[in-house]
Formats: sequence, C-alpha cells, structure tokens
Amino acid sequence: MKRISIEHAQPGQILAQKLQRSDGVLLAGQGAEVTEGLLRMLARMNVDTIVIEEDNQMTPEELEEAFQKRQAEVTQRFVRVEDQPIMVALKNALVDKAQRERDEALASMIPAAGSEEEGKK
Amino acid sequence: MSAPNVSDRMTAKREVRRIKNLPTVPGVVAKISRMVENPETSAAEVGKLISQDQVLSAKVLRMANSAFFGMSRKISNIPSALMILGFDVVKGLVLTSSVFDMIQKSMGGLWEHSIGCAAAAGAVATALGRDDAEEILVAGLLHDLGKVVLALNMPDEVAMIRAKVEEENLFFYEAETAILDFHHGEVGLWLAEHWNLPESLGEPMRLHHNPERAVVYPECTAIVHIADSIIRGWGFGFPGDSLVPPISPAAWEMLGLKVTDFPAILDILEPKLANLSELTQAS
Repeated sequence: MKRISIEHAQPGQILAQKLQRSDGVLLAGQGAEVTEGLLRMLARMNVDTIVIEEDNQMTPEELEEAFQKRQAEVTQRFVRVEDQPIMVALKNALVDKAQRERDEALASMIPAAGSEEEGKK
Repeated sequence: MSAPNVSDRMTAKREVRRIKNLPTVPGVVAKISRMVENPETSAAEVGKLISQDQVLSAKVLRMANSAFFGMSRKISNIPSALMILGFDVVKGLVLTSSVFDMIQKSMGGLWEHSIGCAAAAGAVATALGRDDAEEILVAGLLHDLGKVVLALNMPDEVAMIRAKVEEENLFFYEAETAILDFHHGEVGLWLAEHWNLPESLGEPMRLHHNPERAVVYPECTAIVHIADSIIRGWGFGFPGDSLVPPISPAAWEMLGLKVTDFPAILDILEPKLANLSELTQAS
C-alpha cells in the first residue's frame, strides 16, 4: 500500500485504509473503490492524502523471486547471531511475514470464477 | 563493559574534548526547557512559542499526523498536539524536527532507520500493552543522535569506521570502539548532557546497545534496543552497517517478551512502515 496525494489519485484505485471524517464518521471503508465523487468530497473536506493498494503487476514467478531475494537478504543480516535462539526466532518471523505477503499476493491473483458472491476483499 | 556510571562520566569528560564543537542545542528546545522549569508556564504559552516558528510547526504536525501515532483525527495545530499527544511527546517531536536537517546530512539512510526504529519501538510497546508507546517512540526517533554528531564532527574517522565495517563485517559500534575507543552511545551521553535532555531520552541514546546498564528508564531503553534489532532485521533504512546485533537476554526477560510475540509485533509494524514514506521524503 502507499500514501498518495488527492491530486494524484485516480478513479479505480482501491483504498487500503478506511477514511474517516475528523469527528470519526466513516467516509469510505477499506477496500472501497476511489470514484470521482469521493475525490470531490474529500477535496471539499481538505483531506490531502489517501492510502491505496498498489497495483500488483508482478507475475507469480516475479513474486517468488522477490520473496527468495528478501529471504536471502534477511538471512544475511543475521549472520553474526545465528547461534542465538531469540535472533533466529526474529529472523524466522521476518521470513514468515514475507512468505505470507507473497502468498496473499498470489491468492489475490486468482481470477474470480464468475460467481457474484466473490467480490473484492 | 560493566564500569560504573562515575567512571563513564570521567571518561566522557576526557573524551568530549576530542569532539570539537558539539552542536549547540536548538534554540527552541532550550527555550522550552527553560519555560518548563518554571512551574507556572502554561501549555498555551509553550504552544505559542512553538507555533511562532512555522517551518518547525509544520514538521512537528507532519510527524504528529503520521503513521506512528495512528490518530483517527487530523491534528491541525500545536495546541491540539499538546493536548492529544502530551507535552513530552511534542517536545520530543520539536527536538526531532530541529535536528532533522542534521540527521539527513550526517549519513544516508540514518533518518529512515530512526523513524523505522521509532515505529518498531511503538509496535513493541503496543504489543506489551503499555500506555506510553508514544513516549517510547520518541526515544526511538532520537536514539542514534550520537552517530549524527560523530558523522558531522569526525567525518574522516567515520569514513575509516565505515570501511572497517565493510571489510570485517562488524557492527558499527564495534568498528567505532576499535578506532575511537568510544562509540555513538557515549557521544549520545555527551550530547544529552550538553543539551540538558531528560533521562528518558538520554538513557536510550546512550545505552541502546547496552540496555542492561540502564537504571532510570530500563524498560524504555530495552524496548528501543529491541526495536533497533527488529528494524535492522527488516532492512528499513541504514544505520551504518547491515547487520542485526544480538538482543540482550536480560532486556528481553525484563520485558517479559516471548518469541511468539514477534509475528504480532511485525503485523503492527508493517502498516506503519508502509505509511511512513511521506516522512522519508524531503519536506
């Protein structure tokens, strides 16, 4: 996800985080699609930025490669502390998190099978 | 490495002459400290002082509204920041904003490492169920100020230190100690004394690599210490070396952390890091 200014926002982008009015009232939920109407309303309310999901244009092979690279980088950082259980646990937690992100990205690439119940997550 | 405090301070006084021109404390920070010494100073007066510097205020508010604090409402002025975040946190943000340029100039990637460490410290504090996550976060922001002073004051030595780090796969503090006989923790101590910073900042600045020696704020120091390792493991920013230093078992046990806490900590941390990009860009 990334934070962008309203000026650069485009209809069709997906909100990664909900938008709330300053008094807490929900304006748009996480996962909602950005529309012209929403952008106009936000501009009127002096909201400067929104957080959107980034386009996932990586192929499964690229995702796997990115994960392997991250795993190697993380492992390399821990070379001096490989004999310490707490540090090994931290390293594993970091790698697991990268793995989960890869898996989620892969899962979101499976096209909906045309069923109407399956919508955007 | 278990010398008592007195000996450290004597060493510090000897060594401080090796660092010529410790930077003077930013004016606004000194003014706030003086104002606060007077018990009759109101929050409104402090707010007014900060607000007078628009560039500074803008930086403070940017940080106050950033992913660290996860506020659902936008904080649009300094008095609100004081009310919502509290005086100590705002003073810490004022200090951070005042030294932002220094940090950016000192070492590429150090600012990112500092805000990452702050986010990680906040995540650890939150996972521990503490209600002082914001104060601890500020200590994370400033923990490597000693490194900043070193880089700006002794650039030739720091170049040697960085070369040694690369050649021998050392932690930055190991290379510092080998070349200088002291490391950025001590420099942090000198700076904290010179700038009259509270111990809540001074101890983490000095002892984030030796947290078991902290006496006034051991838990905060331990959290910053652990956050430092976490954010280095994550690879967010660059603190002078690319290694993860060991977490002190004493610090770990004192906080009551378990290895099963790591996934939760990383889950709290990740969205904060994703949203910090606005702070990593130059204003």
